[in-house]
Amino acid sequence: MSSGYHPTTALGRIVHEFEETAIAVILGLMTIITFINVVLRYGFNTGLIWGLEAVTFLFAWLVLFGMSYAVKITAHLGVDAVINLFSAPTRRLIALFAVVICIIYAGLLMKGAWDYWAPFAGLDATSGRWFPTGFENSRDQAWYETVDMPMPDWLRFIEPIMNEGESYAKLPRFLPYVMLPIGMALLLFRFIQAGVRVFTGVSTGLIVSHEAEDDVAAVSHMNAGD
Amino acid sequence: MEVLILFMMIVGLMLLGVPIAVSLGFSSIIFLLVLSDSSLASIAQTFFQAMAGHYTLLAIPFFVLASSFMSTGGVAKRIIRFSIALVGHFPGGLAIAGVFACMMFAALSGSSPATVVAIGSIVIAGMRETGYTKEFAAGVIANAGTLGILIPPSIVMVVYASATDVSVGRMFLAGVIPGLLAGLMLMVTIYIMARVKNLPRGDWRGWGEVFESGREAGWGLMLIVIILGGIYGGIFTPTEAAAVAAVYAFLIACFVYRDMGPLHVKGEGRNLSLMRKPMALITVFFHRDMRDTLFEAGKLTVTLMFIIANALILKHVLTDEQIPQQISSVMLDAGFGPIMFLIIVNVILLIGGQFMEPSGLLIIVAPLVFPIAMELGIDPIHLGIIMVVNMEIGMITPPVGLNLFVTSGVANMPMMSVVRAALPFTAVLFVFLIMVTYIPIISTWLPTLMMGPEIIVR
Repeated sequence: MSSGYHPTTALGRIVHEFEETAIAVILGLMTIITFINVVLRYGFNTGLIWGLEAVTFLFAWLVLFGMSYAVKITAHLGVDAVINLFSAPTRRLIALFAVVICIIYAGLLMKGAWDYWAPFAGLDATSGRWFPTGFENSRDQAWYETVDMPMPDWLRFIEPIMNEGESYAKLPRFLPYVMLPIGMALLLFRFIQAGVRVFTGVSTGLIVSHEAEDDVAAVSHMNAGD
Repeated sequence: MEVLILFMMIVGLMLLGVPIAVSLGFSSIIFLLVLSDSSLASIAQTFFQAMAGHYTLLAIPFFVLASSFMSTGGVAKRIIRFSIALVGHFPGGLAIAGVFACMMFAALSGSSPATVVAIGSIVIAGMRETGYTKEFAAGVIANAGTLGILIPPSIVMVVYASATDVSVGRMFLAGVIPGLLAGLMLMVTIYIMARVKNLPRGDWRGWGEVFESGREAGWGLMLIVIILGGIYGGIFTPTEAAAVAAVYAFLIACFVYRDMGPLHVKGEGRNLSLMRKPMALITVFFHRDMRDTLFEAGKLTVTLMFIIANALILKHVLTDEQIPQQISSVMLDAGFGPIMFLIIVNVILLIGGQFMEPSGLLIIVAPLVFPIAMELGIDPIHLGIIMVVNMEIGMITPPVGLNLFVTSGVANMPMMSVVRAALPFTAVLFVFLIMVTYIPIISTWLPTLMMGPEIIVR
């Protein structure tokens, strides 16, 4: 059931390359920062005070950014033991139902992500419990800062826009948190795309049953025949 | 009552092919919106904090990365060569060596399907050449491959530790003796079968080959020494140990084994030495292999963490509604003792382990059973090992165990023949499960010895 996703257009290739490289770079940065901190502590009795906080934010970015990519290449884990019992047309109907659930899920979380992030960016959260029905007048929380991450000087230009000209002592929170609405929007977009693929019959489902499916396909020829 | 609907909804969606993570998240969100006053914003916050707020879970990407570097082809071959040199001359030697190789590979990787793929593809082919039946070979590997989640470092144990706030270090230590014991039981079974059926044995190639292959495999196996030594020496936290292990694995893969990176020569040619290409110290960071390995590890982390983050939304529901407390009072009123309780846990996990990826299953079940177990006076470390072993066996229990699927793919044979071939060994592991469940000291002895008695906070 692995898709072996291959981008077809030039834009598709660029996006694909960007997504894979971003995932690799984020994980690489997390590893290097943690490793450097261990070395600094034992070798030099010092450390990067912002290291841990930066790594946890990068971890959140990795997952929030990567989850939509995993939808694109059909890498999310699921249970296919039962749906494999059905005939192909029934399976397609079930897959369409699954896609609808996924789209509703991503939509709800998209609203949640916006509502959570918007006040940190000085914007208004949406009103309504299930669906956005309008904007409410949220309290501006753009002055919230992270605990340890320093504010780089080249970012100071945002102070007049976001913080009424007051200077930030630390990196403001809306920056690391911004990946939450971005990630959810991408997730929603990719689930809709996956729905179109199932509807047009390009793919048959949304899931793989375990993480090593590609690897199994790659080695099964070694034991072919009797 | 509502709880029952919640769980039926999760299971129902899962069986209909909705991704596990979405089944968990969707059901929990609906539940929270209908029955409590939580807002969608607070759910989104829970999701974000699953990564940003859990220092323990941060170990997962690093362990995954370390095993990605270690799974680049050559390591499995070196481990298999070492195993054959060591135990290949016994009756049924190649099968025993296969189990031994799975145990060692399990110490480098935290995943069972990955172990079956890496070791199984080579060993099954090798066993067929030396006169074993394909069925026997597949049965051995399907079972031995499950040791991947029991022998530390294990991602499933990190997840358990994070869900229940027990120490990761203790869990890793607790897995050592059960892991060795399970491997030993499988090997003894094979030895007896080999004696009875007169299975082929290899030649003893002398201590030279043992040392030579041991030195080669040793570079990789040092990884587990660094992780366990670092944690128990008090040098690293488990998360730091995982990051150091990932960097070590990178150095070994790129500069010692040279199976990847700028010093690797494709095809039959000898790999370059660093002396001939010192530029490699710089170019390695920009090499395509480097990006691909990081990316593969990142992708696996994303799929695992997506499930875990959604399971944490479910955990939020369970704690909000005090569901574990309700269940435990029902169970205590009905007069269930620890033994009955452990049987129930066994059954739930055996069934769940058939369908689901272990870490996802564990993070749903752990918050449910943990408070009950504490009420009944069961040791939290012991409970963790029981859960891990249960899921291990769930993966090879017919009709739909996950490892059976993987093995049938790797060995290129129908599912039903794998099931039949695996059964004798699965029976052995069942005996092992009963031992682990009712003899707590198998799991608790080593951590208590190394780290002192544990303080249980209720």
